[in-house]
Amino acid sequence: MSSMNSPYVPSIGVVLAGIQRGLIRLQRIPSLILPAVLMPIFFVVAFSGSFASIVELEGYETDKAVNWMTAWAVMQGSAFSGMGAGGLAGTDLENGFFDRLRVAPTRPMALIGGLVGYCVCRALIPITAVLIVAFAFLGADMPGGIMGIAMVYLSGIGMAVVMSFLVLGIVFTFKTLKSLAIAQIIMFSSMFLSVGQAPIQAIEGWLHHVAAINPITNVIRMCRQGFLGEVTWSITQPGLIALLGMMAGTGIWARIRYKKVDA
Amino acid sequence: MQKNLVPQVVKLSHRSVLGMLRQPQSWAPGLFFPLLLAAVYASQFSKAVTIAGFPFPDVSFLDFVLPACVIQGVLFGSTNSASDLAADIENSFMDRLLVSPVARGSILLSRLTSAFMYGVAQAGVLICIFLLFGANIAGGAASIISIVVIAALLSVSMGSFGIAVALRTGSQEVVQSTFPLIFVAVFVSSAFFPVQLMEGWYGAIARKNPLTWVIDPTRRMAIEGFSWGDLGQSLGIIIAIGSIGIAISIRQLRKRLVRAQ
Repeated sequence: MSSMNSPYVPSIGVVLAGIQRGLIRLQRIPSLILPAVLMPIFFVVAFSGSFASIVELEGYETDKAVNWMTAWAVMQGSAFSGMGAGGLAGTDLENGFFDRLRVAPTRPMALIGGLVGYCVCRALIPITAVLIVAFAFLGADMPGGIMGIAMVYLSGIGMAVVMSFLVLGIVFTFKTLKSLAIAQIIMFSSMFLSVGQAPIQAIEGWLHHVAAINPITNVIRMCRQGFLGEVTWSITQPGLIALLGMMAGTGIWARIRYKKVDA
Repeated sequence: MQKNLVPQVVKLSHRSVLGMLRQPQSWAPGLFFPLLLAAVYASQFSKAVTIAGFPFPDVSFLDFVLPACVIQGVLFGSTNSASDLAADIENSFMDRLLVSPVARGSILLSRLTSAFMYGVAQAGVLICIFLLFGANIAGGAASIISIVVIAALLSVSMGSFGIAVALRTGSQEVVQSTFPLIFVAVFVSSAFFPVQLMEGWYGAIARKNPLTWVIDPTRRMAIEGFSWGDLGQSLGIIIAIGSIGIAISIRQLRKRLVRAQ
């Protein structure tokens, strides 16, 4: 115990140790990161290629499908990376290591913070990989300049944090790695029911209403704005609010479910 | 052993199908994702049919993606039989099977039969759901039966490659890791958008993808009506793919039998 007053180890140290542990595991089992890198790269290539002509429709604001689909692929990569927290926690829960962590003199949010921090570091890899492929091989534009790139990273990291919290809550509830399948379904559904692949003007029927209220829509717009034009506060602000709201909601969910691990 | 081949195939197929039914986590995603994609794409790309050069400007996008979603769902589940076979190898059930007087061919045939039955069931369920949500299949019963048969035989032909991998490696994890290849094959084809509107190298690959040669005639049967020519083209490609997969599976089964001696 480093402090005379607190029975807990300082949280920042625990968070950093959690991140370090996750990254060492990633280094030792590189196959863990492969799907999170290859899938979004495939998404940007496949969707830009398959739907090359879709930008002729009203609302796309660009003449290249890659400018529209790169943000979508970045979000997918970040969400996949967020699943890593659930993978690590699920493995620890199944082999009993998590019980040992829980009896250590650490705050729950420090343990959760370590897992989430690890996913944020993980997310930087697919975000960067997608951007390299989009710019170097698919001819993506970035009229938003450095601010546009910053928005891509900010949105991607934010989405990784949200998905980490969400998946951790699910894994703490079911206490098994197999529950990642449920997390995948929620993740895919929430991402697809947004403006990921089409602008709101082009979407018809029930999906138009769902996409309009889906907070991920605002995050994707924030991520995408630099590919379509200048970065503006009017697009950034709703994205930030959506991200902060989702982080708060999913963070509380993860913390509540953590308490139920013993139940 | 050979004269008992049929009853053995029936028994082992029954076991294989039961095993699959008892693991909803293995077949549920194959139902969920095609339906999700169809629902989303029908709303997101409903105006895509107005793009100049779109081959079916008078149909809804749901009708356009229906055959592809059925085929996609069946393909996503096509590795299930192979995965179960790998599980049998991992947990030594295969060894016990091999010391019993069971016809060796029935091991392979039962897995291919279960892949076929899985394909029929999944395609049937998906088509029923699509019809409930307003999709239209122009050729009526003849086209519906043709799509189901095409999907089921495609499940067998693609599943045979998974079975070859299972026999070669004996690892469920390796079989599962072939899933992204199926994912790529589906997306780099005419499944979700016409190849006529794809550009550059991506369009060139999609046009040469055998899945495009299966999906395009199947789609014509769903949109324009049943045609023996389209059915023959689809089945011909599938039989060609399946022949290669089954030949590789037989070769891998023989190698495994030699190793087991």
